[in-house]
Amino acid sequence: MVATVVAAAASSAYTNIHLTEISASKSMELRWVRTRITKTSQQLNNNKQKLLSTPLLPVYISTNPRHVDPQNIRDLCSTCNHSFNRFPNLKNSETSEPVDINKLRIALSHSDVLVSVFCKPHHVDGLAESSSSSIVDFFTPVSPSRDLLVGFGRAVSDCGLTASIYDVMVIPSLRRMGIGKIIVKKIVRMLTTRDIYDIAALCSEDERLFFKACGFGGDILDATTMMYTRTASPTIQEGEQTVICAGRKLLLVPPLIERSYKSSRTII
Amino acid sequence: MLTLNLNTLPSSSFKIVPFHANYPLYTQTQLLIPTNLNYPFTNTATRKFRTFQLKAGFWESIKSGMRKNNTTQVIDPESTDEEDEEPLPQEFVLVENTEPDGTIEQIIFSSGGDIDVYDLQALCDKVGWPRRPLAKLAAALKNSYMVACLYSVRKSPGSEGNEQKLLIGMARATSDHAFNATIWDVLVDPGYQGQGLGKTLVEKLIRALLQRDIGNITLFADSKVVEFYRNLGFEADPEGIKGMFWYPNQ
Repeated sequence: MVATVVAAAASSAYTNIHLTEISASKSMELRWVRTRITKTSQQLNNNKQKLLSTPLLPVYISTNPRHVDPQNIRDLCSTCNHSFNRFPNLKNSETSEPVDINKLRIALSHSDVLVSVFCKPHHVDGLAESSSSSIVDFFTPVSPSRDLLVGFGRAVSDCGLTASIYDVMVIPSLRRMGIGKIIVKKIVRMLTTRDIYDIAALCSEDERLFFKACGFGGDILDATTMMYTRTASPTIQEGEQTVICAGRKLLLVPPLIERSYKSSRTII
Repeated sequence: MLTLNLNTLPSSSFKIVPFHANYPLYTQTQLLIPTNLNYPFTNTATRKFRTFQLKAGFWESIKSGMRKNNTTQVIDPESTDEEDEEPLPQEFVLVENTEPDGTIEQIIFSSGGDIDVYDLQALCDKVGWPRRPLAKLAAALKNSYMVACLYSVRKSPGSEGNEQKLLIGMARATSDHAFNATIWDVLVDPGYQGQGLGKTLVEKLIRALLQRDIGNITLFADSKVVEFYRNLGFEADPEGIKGMFWYPNQ
């Protein structure tokens, strides 16, 4: 009986089962992701057999902002070595400093879309155990407070025209299984149901292919992405220069505009 | 929908009350939807809930009971600092010109004020931008972190009053209030271009953002204006960071 259930689950690539909480307005979804093909299964000759032997892993996708705990996000961030600053301070060990928890709270509270992915702790090493345990998991109720946060993504929008996706991350041991793609697709789906189609995502060189696979295009209408990177200039000596620290860069704050009254044709 | 929630089973709302157990009374009544999330309906929700303050007796009893059992706080709304989070509205005169016939023209910088969507639509037409749905425009302006605009006010010398106020420039920025911000929609009336007004608008936005410690300021520039932004301190594709847009037909 166990074998038939697993086979049924494996015959379709993904099965969606909605678990709707009583009080939450958003739903939590149970998704099955295929784990990486291990070395032993690669030795199998029969393709069909190979498909069945790669175990399926249950992950829980939630868009409910109440499931988001800033401390968990911070830990996930450190594990993924992801920085919230675009120009992070990378020390010798290549790990960026942990994100400020208060700023993180503010950022999370002002993000319109929050997607978090949970997983049972014993699945975190990326390989599901024997198929019998997956049946037990199927019937164990999901609890975001108990299960481990393994993936996250958020989007900021103006609720009308545009949106930007930031900070999509999945823990290293569960990468390359399609979880990141699920997160991005979920975010996009939530935005398009609100009639927002102008969705941007800032990404570094490494992430470009990932977003391309999620349906994002590089060139759009000839628009160039630009970021403010002006740092303090050593040549300007008059007055004081105000700078703020943004990761590794010290960004120069433009001077205060002086008001001009009754002066014809002068612009500051 | 909101009143329905008030009458739901107490057992389901108990999950939510401890979430707010440490906050002042006026946020206590805004139990069911965290007020700081930028969902479109929360703005109306807070107004409705403020009128429910007098009926808070029931909730206070739960609050006192729950206070002992208060566990983890999930998201912490900065209710006391909410006024300081948004950039303060400002308005001041940038330039004042006196024309030969005595008319005084002032160019006024304004931020945090309300913009008439129809005026903005007219300005977009003047610049040559495609038309966008007005409702979406209004929602976008309302939910942007900062909107700065320029008005031209003409006063004729003779009669008192009869000011002509015209919207001649606008720039807006969206942000998550902590790390990232994106500047959209910078436009100046063609008749007033070339005077540094656009530069003023953008610099003001940058200043406001940096003073809130928002370090990642991004924008997507057309090829014609890349040089304009470069002069303001923006760098194209810094360190390989690029923006990608979603294509629905893939």
